[in-house]
Amino acid sequence: MKIGVSREVEAGEKRVAAIPETVAGYEESGFEVIVEAGAGEQAGYSDQAYRKAGATIADEAPSVWEKADIVLKVLPPTEHPDYDQHEADWAREGQILISLFWPAQNEDLTDRLGDRGATVLALDCIPRISRAQAVDVLSSQAGISGYRAVVEAVHNYERYPGVQYTAAGKTDPARVLVIGAGVAGLAAIAAARELGAEVYAFDTRLAVKEEVESLGATFLELEFDEEGEGSGGYAKVMSQAFIDAEMALFQEQAPLTDMVITTAAIPGREAPLLVKEEMVEAMKPGSVVVDLAAATGGNCELTEAGKKVEYDGVTIIGYTDMASRMANHASEFFSSNVAQLLRLLGDADQFAIDLNDEILREMIVLKNGELMWPAPKLPPQDTEEDGAEERAEQAAADPVVVEGGEAQESGSPSKMVRPLLYTAGVAGLAFLVLIGVYAPPDFIHQFTIFVLACFVGWKVIWNVKPSLHTPLLSVTNAISGIIILGGILQVTADATTAALLLGVAATFVASINVFGGFLVTQRMLKMFRSEDEAAEVHSAT
Amino acid sequence: MLPEGLLTVIYLAAAVLFILSLGGLSREDTARRGNIFGIVGMALAIGATLFHDPGMAYHILLGAVAAGAIIGIIVALRVAMTAMPEMVAMLHSFVGLAAVAVGFASYLGAAPETGMTVYLIEIYVAVAVGAITFTGSVVAWAKLSGRVSGAPLLLPARHVLNALVVLVIIAAGVFFAAAPFGEAINPLVVNAVLASLLGIHLVAAIGGADMPVVVSLLNSYSGWAAAAAGFMLSNILLIVTGALVGSSGAILSYIMCRGMNRSIWNVVFGGFGTADTKSDTVTTDDGVEREVITVTAEDVVDELKNAERVAIVPGYGMAVARAQHGISEMTHKLRGMDVDVTFGIHPVAGRMPGHMNVLLAEANIPYEVVKELEEINGDFASTDVVLVVGANDIVNPTAQTDSTSPIYGMPQLEVWNAKRVYVLKRSLSTGYAGVANPLFFNENTAMFFGDARASIEGVVEHL
Repeated sequence: MKIGVSREVEAGEKRVAAIPETVAGYEESGFEVIVEAGAGEQAGYSDQAYRKAGATIADEAPSVWEKADIVLKVLPPTEHPDYDQHEADWAREGQILISLFWPAQNEDLTDRLGDRGATVLALDCIPRISRAQAVDVLSSQAGISGYRAVVEAVHNYERYPGVQYTAAGKTDPARVLVIGAGVAGLAAIAAARELGAEVYAFDTRLAVKEEVESLGATFLELEFDEEGEGSGGYAKVMSQAFIDAEMALFQEQAPLTDMVITTAAIPGREAPLLVKEEMVEAMKPGSVVVDLAAATGGNCELTEAGKKVEYDGVTIIGYTDMASRMANHASEFFSSNVAQLLRLLGDADQFAIDLNDEILREMIVLKNGELMWPAPKLPPQDTEEDGAEERAEQAAADPVVVEGGEAQESGSPSKMVRPLLYTAGVAGLAFLVLIGVYAPPDFIHQFTIFVLACFVGWKVIWNVKPSLHTPLLSVTNAISGIIILGGILQVTADATTAALLLGVAATFVASINVFGGFLVTQRMLKMFRSEDEAAEVHSAT
Repeated sequence: MLPEGLLTVIYLAAAVLFILSLGGLSREDTARRGNIFGIVGMALAIGATLFHDPGMAYHILLGAVAAGAIIGIIVALRVAMTAMPEMVAMLHSFVGLAAVAVGFASYLGAAPETGMTVYLIEIYVAVAVGAITFTGSVVAWAKLSGRVSGAPLLLPARHVLNALVVLVIIAAGVFFAAAPFGEAINPLVVNAVLASLLGIHLVAAIGGADMPVVVSLLNSYSGWAAAAAGFMLSNILLIVTGALVGSSGAILSYIMCRGMNRSIWNVVFGGFGTADTKSDTVTTDDGVEREVITVTAEDVVDELKNAERVAIVPGYGMAVARAQHGISEMTHKLRGMDVDVTFGIHPVAGRMPGHMNVLLAEANIPYEVVKELEEINGDFASTDVVLVVGANDIVNPTAQTDSTSPIYGMPQLEVWNAKRVYVLKRSLSTGYAGVANPLFFNENTAMFFGDARASIEGVVEHL
């Protein structure tokens, strides 16, 4: 199979979808690679380097499309300035295009490629699950943008970001506010911290507080009940009241903040307006605002996409090519993501687009011209797993492996268990009917209570934290000492000697259970201290 | 003295208090309150029962209760947290024993006017479940306290054997229920004996690594035994409480199995449908002599001092060595030096659910830094130093790669992703599951041999 690597023609895009290293990897695994001349030049990868890696260099863009079975691009196909044609017109039936695509915003392009019968895998449609970390370009590029944002901010700041002690005096650290603590935001926080700045961060999702704090930044909280966690780990659109409170917070922070980096994007929609003109006016002259959402409207009212402007002494940067500004590493990461994707697709010898794979199903926009996007929603999973996966998505820098949430039965037992369960179910029903017909009313009455109690127990126990499982075992053990009642009830004045002895014995052992069980539980629970309590105790000792 | 209705209402109050008690355990800050609720509920129930019928023989009863109380209190005060699993197992056996005793006592007592057959069946079931719980718990206690080997006792055709025993119990039950009341004590005795044997066999066949599940299963059985006794005595509180405890234990068992990524059938019936666990030592699969890097306390301290993030993964070895206090001191010192310290707890670390958490809490480690597997697994890549203290099967990479391994598929704490891993162990011997661990031979892993407590104390000294 042949892979073609196209040169990006959109203005300002310096990245390339394959670097010599990944090309060598492709050649090794059996692909033939054709690279357009100059494809990696702006990212620092020469044609010579590609040749050394085993690729053939194609002088003309159309010939890449002509020869390749799989075409790798960074940005979606667009009008080619050198040939009066659209890149999509070079696609042919069955050809596979892998690139960023944004199908929701590019309906025309989708139709165009659909007419040509092409297959499209959109790199921006990768599901935010832990298994997809390796192929997630949005995260890899967002991390770079976040970092670069800090570089641009400090570059324009003209002062030290961190504390400096010199004979000529001491400087105070700059105060940086990062709005949005997703992949880009966290990268920005980390970069700013590395440079020594004092970093404050805000996000509508409370779950990221811990991540922010783990980077050494302070998490700013609103006194608000609304929770911003949407689906897929993205924030959702908040209510107006919330947004007002948010803006009040920023207004308060404005005169204290030296650099603001905003990263609040909502997939498929215009970016929320968070930094208004008044706030910029309240900022000190010499301050900087970097708006990473400039491409979709910008978080700052004064942002001009693609430009750097000045307002009232404050520099407002709205570059839309942050990742491209670090084209060398950005291409390296991008190419690595793409290479992982090709590995997922089976490499050269076993290449296949397996639509049972959740990742591929979400990514595929067109299959031989047929529209496959958007993918049908999967049935909701266990809420426990959802929570864990959402946490995983936000901290894409820290992949969390959520494996084996359900008990995995190996082949034969699960096949055997199903019919067993069915027979058990039928037997259970038959049993219930028998009870209903033959059992005395007292029994049925007790049985009803029994079943209901089981349900109550079921509901209550699921909420117990794993760290408290041992005390739970201990307390339920103590409570099961209730069997003492059985013993007590035997010991009546008119009982037979045998019954008396047995009753006393039962009472005795059950009593050990009751007293021992509760006391042990008490001992255990006294030990579970929170950080404050622990600190008190530790300082006291 | 107490009208029947009032007694029932008091039982209702007790049941509600028990439910609140269990609910309180869903969070650390409400947990202590939960225990108090349980105590109050129990006190109400016992008090009301003792004084509801003037025909009761108080002096004997109070004597029995007091005697049990004294023993219970002494044992509870003296038990070490590391011995918690076996103590819980032992206590479960008492509930089973009590159920059997009460069952026999009922049979030797007055016959009921109506519902004879159902009553007989209830007695029979109560004795059966009680006996299984009793002997099963005793075997569990013996295994956990090391008096009996942890290796599973796998008799040939053991499933057939179990099935046969169950059939005989049922057959005897038919005889029992058909006979006039009070005259068929023999089938009941046979029932008790066979059920006891079944209990022994079931627990003996479960391997040591699965003990946490066994403990929760027996917890569940003790609940069902109490419930069965409740049906027998027509006591609503016994039925409700038994159901609560029974489902609690069942859920915990299920959670444990999920934590080991095996089905509950697999665990209980030991290798149902899959290869039986070989308790054995695969050294290195190519027979090559692998070297391990060994370090001393000073080496470890150097790394710790320069680290920003440290993670500690405790296992049963920490419990055995009673190293949790040393670890606590080390943690506090490190935190004072601005080193971030967290703990990674695997769901089946230790010998019973939540075992590690209890030990760490005893050592005054705040629960916020104690993380579960899903919370911490992603952090290892950005962790500078991991200290694996007496843990083995939960940090074994072959569980993810080797499909013939007995622990294949079990979620692991991926400590090998960290920059440096120190394994505190007494020797290179295998863990409870009897599986060799290639983690020890990794390039970024070093073995810190010695008794965990002594090793940690050495580290604290040099910090």
